[in-house]
Amino acid sequence: MRNTGRRRLELTRVASLGFTAIAALVFLGMLVLFGVQSLPVWRYAGLGYVTGTRWFFRVHEFGILPMAYGTLAVSAVALVVAVPLGVGTAFFTAEVLPHRSRRVVKAAVELLAGVPSVIFGLLGILLLRDFVVKLLAHWEPLSGDTLMTGGLLLAVMIVPTVMTLADDALSGVPADHRLAARSLGLTRAETALKVAARQAFPGLVSAALLGLGRALGETIAVFLVIGRQDNQWPERLLSFQPLANAGQTLTTKLGGSETFIAYGDPLHWGAIMGLGLVLFAVVTGVSLAGARLVTWGGNRA
Amino acid sequence: MLEVVAQGEALDCELGEPVLEAENLSVSIGGRLLLRSIDLRIEPRRVLGILGPSGAGKTTLLRCLNRLSDLVPELVISGDVRLHGESIFGRDVDVDALRSRIGMIFQQPVVFPGSIADNVLFGVRRTRRLPRRAWPERVERALREAALWNEVNHRLREPAARLSVGQQQRLCLARVLACEPEILLLDEPTSALDESSTREIEELILRLRERHAIVLVTHNLQQARRVADSVACLGVRDHAGELIESGRCCDVFDQPQTPELVRHFSREPR
Amino acid sequence: MRKGLDRAFTACVAACAAAVCALVLGIAGAIVWRGMAVLDWHFVSRLAAGGGGAGGVLYEILGTVILVVTALGICAPLAVGVALTETVYLEGREHRRTRRWLFSGLYAANSIPSVLLGIAGLIVFSRWLGWGKSWLAGGILLGLMILPTVSVALIERLRSLPRKYLEAAAGLGLSRSQVIWSVHLPQSLSGLVSGLLLGLARAAGETAPILFAAAVFSGAGIPVGIRDSPVVALPYHIFVLAQDSLDPAVQDHLWGAAAILLGMVFALSLLALPVRLRIHEEAKSA
Repeated sequence: MRNTGRRRLELTRVASLGFTAIAALVFLGMLVLFGVQSLPVWRYAGLGYVTGTRWFFRVHEFGILPMAYGTLAVSAVALVVAVPLGVGTAFFTAEVLPHRSRRVVKAAVELLAGVPSVIFGLLGILLLRDFVVKLLAHWEPLSGDTLMTGGLLLAVMIVPTVMTLADDALSGVPADHRLAARSLGLTRAETALKVAARQAFPGLVSAALLGLGRALGETIAVFLVIGRQDNQWPERLLSFQPLANAGQTLTTKLGGSETFIAYGDPLHWGAIMGLGLVLFAVVTGVSLAGARLVTWGGNRA
Repeated sequence: MLEVVAQGEALDCELGEPVLEAENLSVSIGGRLLLRSIDLRIEPRRVLGILGPSGAGKTTLLRCLNRLSDLVPELVISGDVRLHGESIFGRDVDVDALRSRIGMIFQQPVVFPGSIADNVLFGVRRTRRLPRRAWPERVERALREAALWNEVNHRLREPAARLSVGQQQRLCLARVLACEPEILLLDEPTSALDESSTREIEELILRLRERHAIVLVTHNLQQARRVADSVACLGVRDHAGELIESGRCCDVFDQPQTPELVRHFSREPR
Repeated sequence: MRKGLDRAFTACVAACAAAVCALVLGIAGAIVWRGMAVLDWHFVSRLAAGGGGAGGVLYEILGTVILVVTALGICAPLAVGVALTETVYLEGREHRRTRRWLFSGLYAANSIPSVLLGIAGLIVFSRWLGWGKSWLAGGILLGLMILPTVSVALIERLRSLPRKYLEAAAGLGLSRSQVIWSVHLPQSLSGLVSGLLLGLARAAGETAPILFAAAVFSGAGIPVGIRDSPVVALPYHIFVLAQDSLDPAVQDHLWGAAAILLGMVFALSLLALPVRLRIHEEAKSA
């Protein structure tokens, strides 16, 4: 529908385009804001900001590696637990369950997705901490506030995301493909794995990526159970011990009180904003990759 | 021009023992009856045509024969279907093995992503656990039987999706034939195809008849005349599909007994 | 062997589903059970006392409502504008790339961690505009946070409108904006409503966006004016209290507050349910 007569100024059009421009400016502006405000720290420390392992703001020492490690460790634990659980449940609802029960399970999972993160944090404090102390007894945690606790809590939070997206991907495989495979004599498991999963694979990877994106950006719940200890750079990277210690992630540092006090000092503030910039870049990258995979997978079929 | 089968000629010999038969088969869903008391005999090396208007339950009937109906849990089936005398609904029956002995072709060809060879081997490599060294030979044999070998033998690794619709349908046939089934169930296999592809498939069916028992569902009377040895005509009575007449082709077509069929056939062009 | 694999597969995935359902039931059950012990009319209607760990949560509830309503006011017009831009004003092949950028942008914006939004609010509202802590900043930030999801929901609803209505209206001689106000918007209203309800359910429970520029723990009632008028809100209230939760009386209070917050969130989501079901039915019959 084209508007050929341009005599009157189309108010709706102006308003709509204007609102869209505002929205776009806001979000792009955020990116610019973080970039510009973090400039001091890039000038001051350069690459050392990203590779440094010590953060002592009073002496202007800013290294984000321990926080990056914390983010990665917590997200890795979350993925290792949530992806099999979520994808397995999706297989159950998409391949095994009859239609009516499928909606019940999906509704239950959606409920979980709606729980606010602060409540997850509360549950983590009151229920998960003691469990983790017992679980990691071998590694002698000092308290229940550990990276592992954060990771497990995140896992529970992202299972709904992973499961719903994986279920959508599997359900998108046309029914006649399954029918043809079953009529050849393939078992239900073979049909699910060789036909449905194979065709839905990009969608399944995308589900994991989008779950990861969510885990990377979560602040409040992790904040309450992770101990928020700076400078927890592990002695040995690939050991299990750091998971039993308290730690800090990019998001928990941002959500803490340091953000308030940093505003007066341009360099300190720049360091905090640098955290934001790094977080922004990583989360956007992961989420865009996940979104791309969905469309790519859709075009293939 | 299509080879005209002398109807009734092969059937003059003794009444063979049926390889698959349905007895008093009734199917309902949610309290509504779909099929009422169907009796069928499927004999080796014969083509049984199942004719009827859409909605009569032909596809439902076919899917009961290889228990694909199990995938719709709301269907209630009574009566029996026997393979070589033994009920297919028995508790010890291995349904997956059953399905690999009975091949099914659908209206729309279903081609899996992958190469032509991948598609041919899709079923047999899993259900029969065929060793790798036997694969090329099986692929060739199946494609020859499906009259597709000459067209694709030089491009077996190419994606199967590139074939024409008629070729895809023959590929589905090859995939089924690779499992060496005794019985072939064909659900309107030519309804998505053009005229020349249709004729190719019909010729193929006549050749396959030499080694398999075939059930062909079709709504096309001429096709049934050309291909089937005996027919079973389904019609809708009291809102459910019922067997109106069955018997040898020449008997049913030339001397129909029931009024519906008389009317139906008199309208058809000879 | 193949049978064994089939059985193992079914058992595995059933176990996964059982675990997830157990999680859901466990969490819901724990909150309801512990929270119910504390909830009564006093809890809801009294003010916080004793350093926030005792008394009721009246102002916190009101604060959350104020934030949600503000977010609604910010988000609704913006989402409609974005959705109309994508489906109507950028229709056609020549705008395909712009549309794709817009859509990617929405996806990217949706993934922005809410804490970054909160910090941006700190800079823009608290410092640059000098508002200090303000309820309006909180509402704006929450509205912006849910803008991408609501926009996407509305876009999908608009895209699925049957062309025949648009053609009939245009055929009668209606101008483009008249068609929008008479066909597009009324028929997609249900999508807007359900998208908004779900978004607001999320906004009601968020802490990070209001952490820096809008919420305080105590000392705020009904805000007056814009500058230096913070609110107390349930999520922030729970957040602060949870960090010193050794006192068992405080724990009870926490469960009660959590139960109320969860109730509000689920009430908003449940309101969207009949609308969503109706959309689903329409899509199936179409």
